Amino acid sequence: MKKRFPGISLFILTVVIAGCLACGAVMTKDPAYMDLANSNTAPCRAFFFGTDAMGRDVFSMIWHGGRVSLFIGFLATLISTAVAVLVGSVSGCAPAWIDGAMMGLTDIVLSVPGLLLTVFLQAVLGGSSVIGLAVVIGLTGWMSMARVVRTEVLQLKNMDYVLAARCLGGGFFHILCRHLAPNFIPSILFMAVMNVRSAIVAESTLSFMGIGLPVEVISWGSMLSLSENALITRSWWTVLIPGVFLLVTLLCLTNLGNYMRKSGSKRHSNL
Amino acid sequence: MRKSYITIIHELGKLLLSIFLLSVLVFTMSRLAPGDPLYSYYGDQVEKMGPQEQEEARERLGLHEPLPVQYARWFQGAVRGDFGISYKYKTDVKEVIAGRIGNTLLLGGLGFVIIFGVALLLGLFCAWREDKWADRVVCGIGTVTSCIPEFWLSLLLILVFSVWLGWLPSSGAYSVGMEGSLADRVRHLVLPLTVVVLGHLWYYAYLVRNRLLEETRADYVLLARMKGLSGKQVLYRHCLRNAMPSYLSMMAIALPHILGGTYVAETVFSYPGIGTLAYESARYQDYNLLMLISLMTGGLVIVGNMFAKVINERIDPRMGLKTGGMSEEVKD
Repeated sequence: MKKRFPGISLFILTVVIAGCLACGAVMTKDPAYMDLANSNTAPCRAFFFGTDAMGRDVFSMIWHGGRVSLFIGFLATLISTAVAVLVGSVSGCAPAWIDGAMMGLTDIVLSVPGLLLTVFLQAVLGGSSVIGLAVVIGLTGWMSMARVVRTEVLQLKNMDYVLAARCLGGGFFHILCRHLAPNFIPSILFMAVMNVRSAIVAESTLSFMGIGLPVEVISWGSMLSLSENALITRSWWTVLIPGVFLLVTLLCLTNLGNYMRKSGSKRHSNL
Repeated sequence: MRKSYITIIHELGKLLLSIFLLSVLVFTMSRLAPGDPLYSYYGDQVEKMGPQEQEEARERLGLHEPLPVQYARWFQGAVRGDFGISYKYKTDVKEVIAGRIGNTLLLGGLGFVIIFGVALLLGLFCAWREDKWADRVVCGIGTVTSCIPEFWLSLLLILVFSVWLGWLPSSGAYSVGMEGSLADRVRHLVLPLTVVVLGHLWYYAYLVRNRLLEETRADYVLLARMKGLSGKQVLYRHCLRNAMPSYLSMMAIALPHILGGTYVAETVFSYPGIGTLAYESARYQDYNLLMLISLMTGGLVIVGNMFAKVINERIDPRMGLKTGGMSEEVKD
């Protein structure tokens, strides 16, 4: 199966990211300004995507909020990847009993209900800020990647070149950076892209449930947190439009991630 | 024979140790998190109580002692099956959970059965039509559904089926006064179930598909084809059978995630299950309730992982060192 380069996804993603980064140029109104006279207005010429219950312009909020959502996605992934690489490679290189203990602990952390872990970390780290939330999401999402890194390291560490590097006196971090990482990065790259995706989902879900960002901090998630009221007033645009933006971004990330995935075998099916 | 007894005892010991550590972890985490459990017990009345009264209330609930003592007290009760009372509901936590667990088991269990039934069929279908247009269409739709955040899907379903069309109810597990009616329960179950199923389905279907595609590239397929079996026969009789261990271990790992992962659907649809209970207890420091729910869901995860490992090792002894084939990628 030949993989096609996901050009369209990359293009859309670039447009969304560029639009969010340069939101000052794209926005037509101040996203935080509450125009109470025009609350719950359907999409029209003045408000491209309508306004929400607090009279804020949805079109401007999307670009402004996208910045926060994407930032959280990337920062959380950076954190979770760093933790995963560290835990995975230490565990893979360490003697068997440390390895067993570390993986056992990882399993236990994995079995703590995700919700509790999030609520706890958030309470301890003060997670209602953007960076706090990114840290919380990052610290709850490293476990499965750590396992993959460990499996890879277990195979790699017995290679002759690693042995040679160790004989020459190379320290742990030297070997990790120069010999191990280049070999396992391809297999976690796909996971990292998927982690960006799940971090964005986590942000929006948490904000929606009221334990993420407050309504004043505009993000795609917090925009949707008002949508239960929107269902009653039937202002579908405040539910549909941010969600579609979210969905399209996630879809593009998925396509990109799948493209990066190590393709199994290039052979043809024998069937 | 003797060896397998030792293995069983060894695994059982590991299981108990894991659950013990889990309980310690959850206990300390929940108590270190800021927030006052008195609010959970007395509601807003706490604000009217003087410091003296608050102190007394804390003493009655056993919250004044140092953490290790509190844990020991909890542990003593727990081994005897006494998990304490819920601060919010003021009855035995087991009763609180018993009243709700049926709903979650129904939602999650039904979801689990549907997900794995359909995932297998979809995986087979896609592997059979690999890279033909049918496979591409299914993969395309599947990727889109796997990207939709669960809460947004719920909102969308409510918007379409409850608000616009008015066909299905948007919240609860049954209408007031219709507790016994099966049709009513089914009507309330349709939307949350759709969310639970669509949230997980493609992930597993795709894994099944890829696993089968891996199989179709093996040499034995060529041999079977040369013997004169049709492609379909090879797929069903040989490839499917070889993919079965990974499918089973995937199921073992997925069960707790699907059962425990219903809280988004439960919250949006105000479905009275364990998920909403867990959310409440974690947010409002209902310690005893939180402990039992965490132990139940966490224990399920640990047991599920163990089953997956055993399945892999039993069916394919080469798996001894590697942990799980497909299971490696199963999400948390």
